[in-house]
Amino acid sequence: MTSIPSNTLHTDNYLNHTRGFMSWAFTLDHKRIGVMYLVSVLVAFFFGGMAALALRTHLIAPGTEMLSEDAYNQMFTLHGAIMVFLVIIPSVPAALGNFVLPIMLGAKDVAFPRLNLFSYHLWVIGAIFFLMSLFTGGLDTGWTFYTPYSTDTASAMGGVIPALTGAFILGFSSIFTGMNFIVTIHRLRPPGMTWFRMPLFLWALYATAVIQVLATPVLGITLMLLIVERAFGIGIFDPALGGDPVLYQHFFWFYSHPAVYIMILPAMGIISELVSVHSHKHIFGYRFIAFSSIAIAIFGFLVWGHHMFVSGQSALLNVIFSAITFSVSIPSAIKVFNWLATMYKGSISLNAPMLYALSFIFIFTIGGLTGLHLGTLATDVHLHDTYFVVAHFHYVMMGSALFAMIGGMHHWWPKITGRMYHELTSQIGAITVFIGFNLTFFPQFMLGSQGMPRRYHDYTGDMWLPETVELFHTYHFWSTIGSYVMAAGFFLTAGYLVHSIFRGKLAPANPWGGRSLEWQCTSPPPHDNFAKQPTVGDCYDFSVLRWDEAEQGYTWREDVPRPGEGDRDPYEKGELE
Amino acid sequence: MSVLDTISISSLAAADALPGRGFWMPERASTVAGDVDFAFNLITWISVFFFVLIVAVMAIFIVKYRRTNGREAEQTVTHHTALELTWTIIPLILVIIIFYVGMVGYLDLRTSPVDAYEVRVTGQKWFWTFEHPSGCIEVDVLRVPVNRPVRLVMGSDDVIHSLFIPAFRVKQDVVPGRYTTLWFEATRTGTFDLFCTEYCGTGHAQMVGHVIVYDEDEFDDALRECREWIEDIDDAQLHLAGANLFNRCQACHSLDGSPGIGPSFLETHEYFHDRRERDMIDGTRALVDENYLRQSILNPRWNTVAGYQPGQMPVFQGQLSERQLRSLIEFIKRLDEIELDDRGRPQVLSPDQIRELGGDSPNDAGAEQ
Ligand code: HEC
Ligand SMILES: [Cu+2]
Ligand SMILES: [Cu+2]
Repeated sequence: MTSIPSNTLHTDNYLNHTRGFMSWAFTLDHKRIGVMYLVSVLVAFFFGGMAALALRTHLIAPGTEMLSEDAYNQMFTLHGAIMVFLVIIPSVPAALGNFVLPIMLGAKDVAFPRLNLFSYHLWVIGAIFFLMSLFTGGLDTGWTFYTPYSTDTASAMGGVIPALTGAFILGFSSIFTGMNFIVTIHRLRPPGMTWFRMPLFLWALYATAVIQVLATPVLGITLMLLIVERAFGIGIFDPALGGDPVLYQHFFWFYSHPAVYIMILPAMGIISELVSVHSHKHIFGYRFIAFSSIAIAIFGFLVWGHHMFVSGQSALLNVIFSAITFSVSIPSAIKVFNWLATMYKGSISLNAPMLYALSFIFIFTIGGLTGLHLGTLATDVHLHDTYFVVAHFHYVMMGSALFAMIGGMHHWWPKITGRMYHELTSQIGAITVFIGFNLTFFPQFMLGSQGMPRRYHDYTGDMWLPETVELFHTYHFWSTIGSYVMAAGFFLTAGYLVHSIFRGKLAPANPWGGRSLEWQCTSPPPHDNFAKQPTVGDCYDFSVLRWDEAEQGYTWREDVPRPGEGDRDPYEKGELE
Repeated sequence: MSVLDTISISSLAAADALPGRGFWMPERASTVAGDVDFAFNLITWISVFFFVLIVAVMAIFIVKYRRTNGREAEQTVTHHTALELTWTIIPLILVIIIFYVGMVGYLDLRTSPVDAYEVRVTGQKWFWTFEHPSGCIEVDVLRVPVNRPVRLVMGSDDVIHSLFIPAFRVKQDVVPGRYTTLWFEATRTGTFDLFCTEYCGTGHAQMVGHVIVYDEDEFDDALRECREWIEDIDDAQLHLAGANLFNRCQACHSLDGSPGIGPSFLETHEYFHDRRERDMIDGTRALVDENYLRQSILNPRWNTVAGYQPGQMPVFQGQLSERQLRSLIEFIKRLDEIELDDRGRPQVLSPDQIRELGGDSPNDAGAEQ
């Protein structure tokens, strides 16, 4: 190894390989598609976040007249629909996964590059339909589109059909990404990478892809049925037309519960990478973590009924769904303990990606444990549809899934952009976001258990007891303050990331000391990732790397042969697979 | 509300000042609340234990194994099946216990005693109607006796609603096209919150009511008052009694001419006053007289005023006594005599105040019967 910096920002790489708008919009390069997804998702996140700030500001005190009832209802629908369909579901698989997955496999691209581009175009079209719903009468159904409210034209606003169409199209975008990943992982693994040598992020993406392919079609069909009922008055869900509104809830949650795992599984995969790389320590209990991803994917299909404990579903069904729900908590617990064991006797760098990973463990523990309150029948009856649920799923979906994605973004940022962001600022940003998040959502647990229902425009009026109003006011007030702190943290983050693109130090190939293949190509990677397909060993064995001062990054130790050289690696293709 | 108010109220001490409320749960006022809270506390303490354990271990590792100059990770085992099985099996046992406690509590919540006092409940956009066996029909106020099981048989006239009484720890969706039921036994008297917890549109947050729990003998008086007060209001004051019922209409009808989901009653009043004809959606015209008002309220599906959506106005057939209906019609007819506050709400007088205006004291009225 020479000590000449290996940075290639000014030599040929995927960013400058070709130029011009069309070379991006119709690229087949998984890296560019990943970057476009990332930018689009972040733009959507900005709008969804602004809607959230408007809601929180409105709720700072009882009787606020900032938003009218209808405006409020549209705002929370918009917030939920954007964050779920446009942000969290595509964020990790489609944005980060697209960029990282083929490189981790040492491949030149995903198995079906054209399909991959088509997924992205579908995302854009889906987003346009969502926008259209705003101009065709608005959307006030909540992101769940419950019937008969959504199909009754006298109730819900006019934008329902465009929004449903948008969600339908986004569903296909998600299915295609999933299919692509499954085939890629099956067919394009490099020599030496057996299933149990894949980075855990790939296991997580694989499990996610299976859910995407199996569950999303059900959502598609359900939304179609809704459109048919609303447009042509054919009775499927509306009792006034002879339909069954609870049937809709079964269909909807049959997709949307597994969708929760589409959000959290890839996030957990990222955390496995971050914790091991930034602790510079071999991941603990690889197989348990890998199998727990699969277990979650399977059990995830059997628990949808826990969203319906008070819907009028039979007591027997409720008991069964509650029991299966608890089985999902075990694999999640295993992962948390294994991450802690990974840190044991490690060498922990507290840079931004690791801070996000630690935040994840803290927040996911709270989110997961409060899931027990909701899976338990007796307590769920009280807590269902209150702010307790709101707090719980923000701990899981935002504080866990989204924070993992942001952590992953910081982790792979040098790889994606070829630049380093300012370290201290990024640490301050991560800590601000963490504090703001907890201040925003922790009070909502008490708000909910004290009885405050969700989706309420206001918490005062003729029939409100004064002491209830006063108590709710306290918690809402602090929650709103928290949201401002969090917003400040995010703006800071946006600031230093943008700054890094123009002014950041050039990134080395391997700034953190990761061993999976993406750290073995240059930052940013060349157009086709690797000139020659690399061979792999144990991607969590960091002892082969050392810090190289001149390079400002990690390089392979001279005294250790690479896999496939010197001592033959027993896992090399053909021997042990 | 000024910023100063906001801050002065916003101290967590407020939570302690409320009688009977805990940090997590509101006061406990039903027989099942104790079991629910037991389950809640059990889970919460188990959660606190694991949370503290995980975060403490994490914090210790962060401090102890920080990457400092020269510190390299030590090699340790990369898996340990016995250890991993331990932290699989211990949580498994705990969740089985939690599941069981929750299930038992839930089955109690679902199984109502046979001799329960039954109230029929209708959820509509955006109010609750409670109908007692004795004929008392009230909006947004549910009166129940203490220490006696009460069973609610609930239905919806439009979309899904959900009835939630935090102090009783009970909740049940109210679904159109079928009946759902809910039962509880209140253990103390007082007034408690009642909320709609299933999103149902514009006025969802105003679909809020009270549960008032009475001693057994007070309960009978309360029901009698509910049933009969409007019967002995003089015709001269009947429009004032109508103002009392207007809260069922105010989500859609204003009194000051401002637009809403339905026509403002000011407009209706003017049509009535001038004996004018209204354009209807089917192209016909209808004279606004007493009969028109009666039809519009009891059976609005007969026709729809032009410019409004059909199917919005709730059907009040069977939900209003004859006298109540008359009071609402009088209210619209004599709207010019009703005082409005600055938010356009009518001045609402209690039954006693209205009787006093009529000249006889409530006692006289009672004696005459
Ligand atoms: C959910 C909304 C809603 C509620 C609540 C509601 N209405 Fe209506 N009402 C409407 C709509 C919409 C119309 C116009 C369409 C129609 O004629 O059906 C209407 C029409 C009327 C009319 C005819 C008005 C005219 O000018 O021709 C009367 C009278 C009326 N309502 C009385 C009542 C009374 C009395 C109540 C309460 C006991 C009430 N409404 C509650 C929505 C509502
Ligand atoms: Cu679920
Ligand atoms: Cu409601």
